[in-house]
Amino acid sequence: MTDFIPTIGVEVHVELKTKTKIFSPSVNGYGQMANSLTNVIDLGYPGTLPTMNEEVINLAIKAATVLNCKIRRQMHFDRKNYFYPDNPKNYQITQFDTPIGYDGYVEIEVDGKTKKIEIEEMHIEEDTCKSTHRKEKTLLDFNRAGVPLIEIVTKPCISSSEEAKLYLEKLKELLFYCDISDCKMEEGSMRADANVSIRKDINDPFGTKVEIKNIGSISNVGVSIEKEIARQKELIEKGESFKEQTRRYDDKLGDTVLMRVKETGNDYRYFPEPDIPYVIITDEMIERVEKTIPMLPKERRKKYQELGVSELNANKLVQNRSLSDYFNQLLEEKINFKVASNLLLGDISGYLNKNEKDITETTLIKERFIDLVNNIDNGTLTSKNLKDILDKVLETTSSIKEIIDECGIKNITDDNMIKEVITKIINDNPDSVADYKAGHDRAIKYLMGQVMKETKGGVNPKMAMETLINELNK
Amino acid sequence: MADKLTKEEVMHVADLARISISDEEVEKYQVELKQLLNEVEKINDVKGYDDEILIAPWSENTVLRKDESKEMLNPKEVIENAPRHSGNYIEVPVVIGESEGA
Amino acid sequence: MYLDKSIKEINELLKSKTIKPIDLVEEAFENIEKNKELNAYITLNKEEAIAKAKELENKEVDNLLFGLPIAVKDNIVTKGLRTTCASHILDNFIPIYNATVVEKIISKNMIIIGKANMDEFAMGSSSRTSYFGAPKNPWNKEKISGGSSGGSATTIAARDLLFALGTDTGGSIRQPAAYTGIVGMKPTYGRVSRYGLVAFASSLDQIGPMTRNVYDNALLLNVIVGKDPKDLTSSSKEVEDFTRLIGEDIKGMKIAVPNYFMSDIVNDDIKDKIKDTIRLLEDAGATVDYIDMKYLENAVTLYQIIAMGEASSNLARFDGIRYGHPKENPKDIEDLYLSTRAEGFGKEVKRRIMVGSYLLSGDNAKIYYNKALSIRDDMKQEFTNVFEKYDLIIGPTTTTTAYNLSDSMDDPLKSFMDDVLVIPVNMAGLPAISIPVGFGTDNMPVGLHIIGNSFEEAKIYKLASFIEDKLKLDLNPFGGEK
Repeated sequence: MTDFIPTIGVEVHVELKTKTKIFSPSVNGYGQMANSLTNVIDLGYPGTLPTMNEEVINLAIKAATVLNCKIRRQMHFDRKNYFYPDNPKNYQITQFDTPIGYDGYVEIEVDGKTKKIEIEEMHIEEDTCKSTHRKEKTLLDFNRAGVPLIEIVTKPCISSSEEAKLYLEKLKELLFYCDISDCKMEEGSMRADANVSIRKDINDPFGTKVEIKNIGSISNVGVSIEKEIARQKELIEKGESFKEQTRRYDDKLGDTVLMRVKETGNDYRYFPEPDIPYVIITDEMIERVEKTIPMLPKERRKKYQELGVSELNANKLVQNRSLSDYFNQLLEEKINFKVASNLLLGDISGYLNKNEKDITETTLIKERFIDLVNNIDNGTLTSKNLKDILDKVLETTSSIKEIIDECGIKNITDDNMIKEVITKIINDNPDSVADYKAGHDRAIKYLMGQVMKETKGGVNPKMAMETLINELNK
Repeated sequence: MADKLTKEEVMHVADLARISISDEEVEKYQVELKQLLNEVEKINDVKGYDDEILIAPWSENTVLRKDESKEMLNPKEVIENAPRHSGNYIEVPVVIGESEGA
Repeated sequence: MYLDKSIKEINELLKSKTIKPIDLVEEAFENIEKNKELNAYITLNKEEAIAKAKELENKEVDNLLFGLPIAVKDNIVTKGLRTTCASHILDNFIPIYNATVVEKIISKNMIIIGKANMDEFAMGSSSRTSYFGAPKNPWNKEKISGGSSGGSATTIAARDLLFALGTDTGGSIRQPAAYTGIVGMKPTYGRVSRYGLVAFASSLDQIGPMTRNVYDNALLLNVIVGKDPKDLTSSSKEVEDFTRLIGEDIKGMKIAVPNYFMSDIVNDDIKDKIKDTIRLLEDAGATVDYIDMKYLENAVTLYQIIAMGEASSNLARFDGIRYGHPKENPKDIEDLYLSTRAEGFGKEVKRRIMVGSYLLSGDNAKIYYNKALSIRDDMKQEFTNVFEKYDLIIGPTTTTTAYNLSDSMDDPLKSFMDDVLVIPVNMAGLPAISIPVGFGTDNMPVGLHIIGNSFEEAKIYKLASFIEDKLKLDLNPFGGEK
C-alpha cells in the first residue's frame, strides 16, 4: 500500500465576546427566546444601515496580536452576495480585500518539537441567523444574525489530524484566555471547517480538495479528517477520481457525508461596502489593546514551573483560567508555590466544585491565601486541620490566625517540643525501639502512631518523622 | 462586438439576481442588457487615471460605535411584516443543506 | 389661500393665531384633491395629518417650519405609514421605524401630508417606472415631471404645498426640479443622514429639499442636516445656517462653466437661457470662465457600473421573507426568491439588477467595477482642482426640457442620458442645486445647475437667490401667460 501525504487547512469561525452585535446595538446573546434579540438592522429592513462596534475592532486587533499576525492599518469591508434565508440582506458584510490580520502563526508541540501552524489571514464578519428545519418548513431566528465573528484561515500546512487537533486546542486556549471568545463548540461560538487533500509525493501537485464543514467538536475534527483521508485513499487506490466537494461530519454515522459537489466556483460578487468608511488602525489603538492581553498559557506554564510548581500542577492550573488568574497575582510573593498550587488544586478546588463557586466568589483574598500557605508551609496547619477549617477560610473574613485560635489548633511546631514528646515515646517503648534497631520497619510506624496519639494529631507528621528517625539513630 | 448576449449569459445573470424570466423575456433581455453593457464597455477607453479608488465620498474615517445595547424589537414586531411565520419564528419553505456563506 | 404666501407671512399668521395648522393641512389636501390627476402621491396621510395639526394647536410656534405640511418621497420610511418605493414588491409595507430625516421634520412640528410618487426604487428619470403610474407635469399634463423624485417635484410645482423631500442618486432631485420649474438641492454626500432612505446606490444617494424658492429650500436643509450616529457616512461637520449668505452681493465671485455642459448634447433653447444667466452674472461683477474638464463625459459610464452594481446588492433583500409582497404558495425556497422578485419588480428595476449582477460577477468586478472606482477618484480630484480656483461651477441641469409622457420607454439608455449633466456631482459627492431660469420655446421650465465644493451649500444658495431675485419669474403653472 502506498503511503499518502495529507494536506490540511483549517478555517475557524469564532464568535466574539461583545455586549452587542457587530453592526447594530442589539444584544449579542445565546439561548434566549427566538427573535427577542433583534432590531430592524439585524432583520435587514429597507433603509437600515450598519454601524461599527468598536469592541469588535479591539477584539480583532487582540486576536491578530496573539496569533502573531501582521495588522492591516487601513481596511474596508466588502459585501459577499448570495441568496439564503439565513442571510437577512442576502449579502454578508465581511472583509475580502483587506482582512485585519495576515501572515500569522500558532505554535504547537508535536513529538516534542515545536511546529508553526501558519495563518494565512483572519478577517471580521457578521454571523447569519439560525435556521431550524422542520418537515415542511424552515424556521428563522434572527438572534444570531449580526453576531460578530472572526474567521481564521490557516495555510494548507497541517499534515495530520493530530496536528489539526493540537492547533485547534491551542487556538481555543489563546482566544479563551484573552477573553476574545467563549470558544464553546457545543454552542456554536467556535466552528471549524477542514480542507483535506492527499497526494503521493511531496513534489506532486495538491490533490483534489474536499471541504468538511461545521464540525461540532475538536475530537470530531480529528475523526472526520482521518475518515476523509481514508476515503480519499481508497478512491485513489481503486483508481477512481472525485470532484472538489463539500461534506459534513455526521456524528451518528461517525463519518463524513456529501453536501454538494462544486461545479463551478461560487460567484459571490464581492465589492467594497459603501456604508462603512475605512477603519484606520493607529499605533495607539494597538498599544491600548496590547495592554489588555493577559499572560498567555505558554508563558504561565513556564513561569509556574520556574517557581517550583510541578509540570502536572502547572498544566492543571492553566486549564482552569480562573485559578490561574488567581495564582498569577501571587507570582511576586515569597511563598512556597508548590504548597500554594497543591492547596488550590486540592482542597480548595474540591470546595469550589462542590459549591459551584468561582474562587473570586469566596472570601479568600490574596492576603489571607498567602497567610494560609505560610501556615501550612511552616507546619502550623496540617492537612487534617485544613479540612476542618476550610469552610471558615473560604466563607468568613476572619484572619487565618483568628481561625486557628478559635478552633483551638495548637500544633507542635517547636523543634524542642517535638523532641520532648519523642524522647518520652522512645523511653516509654523500649521494645519497639529494640525492634526498630533489629531492622523491623513496622516498629517505626507504631512509634509514629504513639507520637500522633500523644499530640492528638497536632504535630506536623513530616517533622515528627524526621525527628523520630534522628533520635532513634542516635 | 455582438449585438446581443447569449441566452446562457442572460439565464446566468437572471439566476444570480434570483429573477425568473420567461423564454420571451430572455430574447428581450439578450438585446437590452447588451445595449447597456456596450455603454459600460466605454470604460475601457478612459485613460490616464491612477489606481487610487474612491469607494464612496466619505468625509470621515474610523467611525465607531460604543459597545452599548439599545432597545430591541419584541418578537411580535419581528413577525408583523413577515408574510409567513409560526410562533415567534419567521418561516420559509423548507431549506435543505446549509448556508454557502459564513 | 394661505399656502400661496411666503413662509414668513405664514409664520406670522400662525403666531398671531389668525390661522391654525389645521387650516394649512386642509388647504394642502384641497389642493392635492384639485390636482388629483397629476398623480403626485402614492399614499396620503390624511387622518394622521389632521390629528397632528390639532395636537399642534396648543403648542408654541417656535420655528419657521412649525405646522407646515410636507410631502415625503416614498423611498423614505415613515413609521406606520405605508412606504412602497413605488414598487409592487413593497405595496403592503408598513415600516416599523422612522427615517432620521422624518424624525427631524417631526421634531420641528412639520406635518407629513403624504408619500410622493417616484420611479420604482428611484430607478428612472421620468417617474414612469412607478407601479402606481407616472405623475404629470403641472406645466403641461402631457409631459413628464422628471424623476425619480417626480411626485415631490409635481406637488411643489402645482403649489399644493411648500415643502417636499426628494432623493438624488444621479440627479433625481435636480432633474425633476428643472423640468417642473422648482428649486431642488442635492446636499453634499454625508450632510443628511441616509438612515431610513431605502438604498438604491449607497455611495451616491442623498436626501434633499425640494421647494418653490431658494430661501425655503435653505430653511428645510437647516432642519434635515447633521451627524447621525446611525449612519457612519453622515458628516460631523458643524450644522450651519444655510440662509446666512442669501441676499449677499455676488461681485467678485469666480464661476466656471465646463465646455462639456454647453456642448452639442444640450439643446440650443436651453443653452440660450444659460447664456442669458451668465450675462446677468457678469453684469453683477462675477467672473465667468469656460473650462475643460476631462472626466465629465465618463460620468454616465461610471454611474451605470457603480449604481447598478450597488443596486443589485441593495435590492437583494427584497425576497418576500421578512416583509414585502411574496409569491403566494411557493413550491420551494428557490421559487419564493425567483417568483417574488420576478412578480414584484418592474422592468427597469429588473434590468438594472441583472446588469449590476453581471458587472460584479466573476472577473467582471475587476474589469469594470474596480476601474470605475479608480476613475471616480480622479473625477473627484478634478472637481477639487477646479474649486481651488473657482467658487462655483454652473451649467444647464438638463439637455432638454420635459418630454412627453407618451415617448417610448424601450431604450434602456434613455433614462441615463437624461441625467448626463447631473450625474458627475453624485460621483464626487458634491452639493448642487437646480433653480428655474426661464422657459423654453415649448413654454416648459429650464433649470440652471449650480455645483459647489463639498459642504459649500451656503455659497450655492447665495448665487441661486441672487439669480432668483434678478429674474423674478412667475412660477405658477396655473397662473396665466409665460
